[in-house]
Amino acid sequence: MKTDRRISRAWCEVRTREQVAEDTFWLELAAHDIAAHAAPGQFVMVGFGANAWGSPFLPRPNSVASVQGENIGLLIRVYGAGSRRLTEMRPGDSALLLGPLGTRFEIGDARKVLCVAGGVGLAPFLMLRDWLKRTGSSAEVHLLYGEQTGAAVFDPERIRSFSGLDAEIWTEDGSVGREGRVTGGADLAGVDLVLSCGPTPMLKAVRTLCLDAGVACQLAVEEHMACGIGTCVGCAIETIDPDTGADRYSLVCVDGPVFSAESLRW
Amino acid sequence: MVDLKQQVFGVTFQNPVLLASGTCGYGEEYSDLIAVDALGGIVTKAVTPEPRIGNPPPRVTETPSGMINAIGLANVGLERFKREKLPWLRENLRNAKVFVNVAGKTVDDFVTVVAGLEDEDCFVGYEIDVSCPNVEGGTLFATDEVALAKLVRALRPVTQRPLVVKLAPNVPDIGVFAEICAEGGADGLSTINTFPGMVIDVEKRRPVIGNVTGGVSGPAIRPMGVHATWVAASRTNLPVIGIGGIRSANDALEYLLAGACLVQIGTASFVDPHTAPTVIQELSDFCERQGVARISDLVGALEV
Repeated sequence: MKTDRRISRAWCEVRTREQVAEDTFWLELAAHDIAAHAAPGQFVMVGFGANAWGSPFLPRPNSVASVQGENIGLLIRVYGAGSRRLTEMRPGDSALLLGPLGTRFEIGDARKVLCVAGGVGLAPFLMLRDWLKRTGSSAEVHLLYGEQTGAAVFDPERIRSFSGLDAEIWTEDGSVGREGRVTGGADLAGVDLVLSCGPTPMLKAVRTLCLDAGVACQLAVEEHMACGIGTCVGCAIETIDPDTGADRYSLVCVDGPVFSAESLRW
Repeated sequence: MVDLKQQVFGVTFQNPVLLASGTCGYGEEYSDLIAVDALGGIVTKAVTPEPRIGNPPPRVTETPSGMINAIGLANVGLERFKREKLPWLRENLRNAKVFVNVAGKTVDDFVTVVAGLEDEDCFVGYEIDVSCPNVEGGTLFATDEVALAKLVRALRPVTQRPLVVKLAPNVPDIGVFAEICAEGGADGLSTINTFPGMVIDVEKRRPVIGNVTGGVSGPAIRPMGVHATWVAASRTNLPVIGIGGIRSANDALEYLLAGACLVQIGTASFVDPHTAPTVIQELSDFCERQGVARISDLVGALEV
C-alpha cells in the first residue's frame, strides 16, 4: 500500500469552519497541492509553525476527509488543548499543513466493500465516492458508522452529500440509529474487502472478524507522531514481516496509516 | 553580503546550521522538502554496531513547549548504514557536511562503529552520543566521569577525524564533563542532549511513553542548553555545537553568542521542516541589519 510521496508544505487558509456534532468540527482549508494528490486514508499534519507558542507545539495528524477543488476538508474532534486550538480557527486564519502523507486504502478489483467507521474515523470514507470514480472502480460500498452517543453523530444528510452513501448508524447509547457497537452491524456475507478507521479497540474487533471470516481487510490506525514523514521514528507499531514472518516495527506515518489486517501484530 | 561560513575542526561549514541527530534520519528523509545540501550539515541518526528495533510504542508525545521521546536508538546498524545510507549522502551532499552520530552500550560498541567507518568517505567526523537517556545504560558515560574519560581515551587512537562528544544536561556541573572530554583528546562538544523526563496518564495511572521515561526536547529546554553551551565554551578551548530548542535565528544567536560555533536544529524540524533553511536566511538578515560582516564575529561575543 505504498504511495508515491508528493508532499507539500504550505500555510493554508481556513475557508469554512462549522460545528457538526458535539465537540466535532468540519474545517475546509485552501490547500491546492494537497488536494491535487490526497487519497482516502492519507493524512495531513496540521500545526501552527515553529514559532507558535502554546499547544499544539507539535503538528497533529488528521485524515483528509474531502477534496473539493483546491480545498481539503478535515473532521476534527476535541480531545485536548491541541485539537481544541485547531477547531478554534476561523475563516481567514491559517495553519501550516504538510501532506498528503502516508498510505491509502486500496480498493483494487473488490466488488463489494464494507466500510466500518468509528467516531471521526468516518473522515476517509467521506471522500470514497469521488476516489472510486477517479480510479474507475464500480465497487458496491456499504458504510457502517458508530459513535458512543447520539450527540456525537455527524449529520446523515451531510454524510450522504459527501460520500454518496447511506450510512448505517450505530450508537452505544442507542439515541440515534441502532443501539450497540458498530461492529455488531458487520455482515460479511458476500463482502470481498473491509476498510476500517476509528479507535484502536474497534479496529481490533474488525480485524478479528475479518481474519476469522477470511475476508480481506485494511485498517487505518493511529499513533502518537511528531513529524509525519518518517524522521522522528516515533509512531512505531508492531507488524509482521510478510517475507520472514518475523515481528518488527513499522512506522504509522510512512508504512501506514493503512495496514492490511494480517500484517499487524495485534 | 554576509559571510555565514564557519571554520571548525579544520572543515569549512557553509553556514553554522546543522540538523540534529535523530531528527533528520539519514538526510534523505527531508530531501523532497528542503535543499539538504544548502544546510551547514546534518548529524545522522545514531549508528550502533548491530541494528536496533527500538522501544515499544508510544514513543513520543507533546510536553509543554516541547516533546518527550523514547525511540531507543532504533537504527539500521553499522553494516546497513554503510551499505544503504552512506551512498545517498555521498551522492547528494556536496556542500553540507555530515557527522555520523555513534552510540553504544560499551566502549567496545563505540570503538567498533568508529573503526568500522574509518575506511568510508563522505562524512567529516563523529558525534559520540554518550547521553541518550532512552536505552539501558544509556546515560552511564555521560554522567560518570571515570567512564567518560575511559571512552574518550579509547576512541582517540581509532580515528584522525574530529570526535565531538554530545553531553547530557542532567549533571551537577557540565563543565567538569567538558573538561574530561578535552583532557581525553576530544575535538569538540555538543551541548545538550535531551533531559530525562516523564509524562503520566492520570486516568490510566500509567506512563504515556512505552519506555516509561524519555528525553525532553524543544523550546522548553533552550535556556538550559544556552547555559550549558556557555559553561562548556568557557571552561574548555574546544569548539562547541549548541543544541536545544532552537526554532529561530534569535535562538541560534543566543547559542552563538554564548560560545557555540555551530548549532543544531532538532525538534523544530518536526514542527516545520523548513525551520533550518528559514533560520539560515534569518541569520543572514540579522547580520546585515547589525552590520556584522561575518557570523564568526558573533561566536562567544556575549558581553557580561
